[in-house]
Amino acid sequence: MRYYESLYIINPNYEQDRLDEVIKMIAEKVGEYGFSIINQHVWGKKRLAYSIQKHKYGTFVQLHFETETVENLDRFERFMILQKPILRNQTVVLETRPEIKVDEEPVHDETIETPAETPQVEGDIKEEPFLESALEDAVETKEISEEETIGGINAESESNEEVSAETAEEQIVEAKETEEVQE
Amino acid sequence: MAFQSRKKFCYFKENGITEIDYKDVKLLRRFVTDQGKIMPRRITGTSAKMHRKLVRAIKQARNIALMPYTNVSTEG
Repeated sequence: MRYYESLYIINPNYEQDRLDEVIKMIAEKVGEYGFSIINQHVWGKKRLAYSIQKHKYGTFVQLHFETETVENLDRFERFMILQKPILRNQTVVLETRPEIKVDEEPVHDETIETPAETPQVEGDIKEEPFLESALEDAVETKEISEEETIGGINAESESNEEVSAETAEEQIVEAKETEEVQE
Repeated sequence: MAFQSRKKFCYFKENGITEIDYKDVKLLRRFVTDQGKIMPRRITGTSAKMHRKLVRAIKQARNIALMPYTNVSTEG
């Protein structure tokens, strides 16, 4: 008895129904050729290392089967190549019988991005010290502003704009005077 | 001697690995350059026997698009 592992990539644009149809069709064909399936595992949608037929993603399906005759293996390879929904396939010989695995984990697609919960938790933890520090800062600024008002600096700051305008005018007059002198 | 080269060792022999799976991309990545080229065994220190298996595994992984043939193109 010889054991084989076949890994094939299905078009990523196929919906779940069509995907199931293709997988079922392949499994039936494997049965027709006289191979008996040991394992069938759908990896899910994964990013390809390079684009195949302009597809950047692909649904990977792993198939373990055993057979006594090698005659139909070439026909199976040919059949897989001719299938339109299959982007790429590869069958390799296994030296030992693969262990029978039961699909317990749900299919994980790489394209679906689930928001991670951990950063939110960290954010919640960080919020408290941040708030405290902000409050402290606010208290300090209040104290300073009170001191300023006591010292009468506040009144000066209001008249600062007028002063700056006056100084600008003075500078312009001075500049004109210097130009006249130079002439 | 001012310069002494580090002693090379076979990664697979040290870790007791006898068979290399082409699906174990994380392991295979250690033995290719950033460009995606297979590193020579004079650099990695892999034994001749395991290097032959390694090369086969990398080529199988490339064929089924688990590993890139090259990383030079901007397409990725």
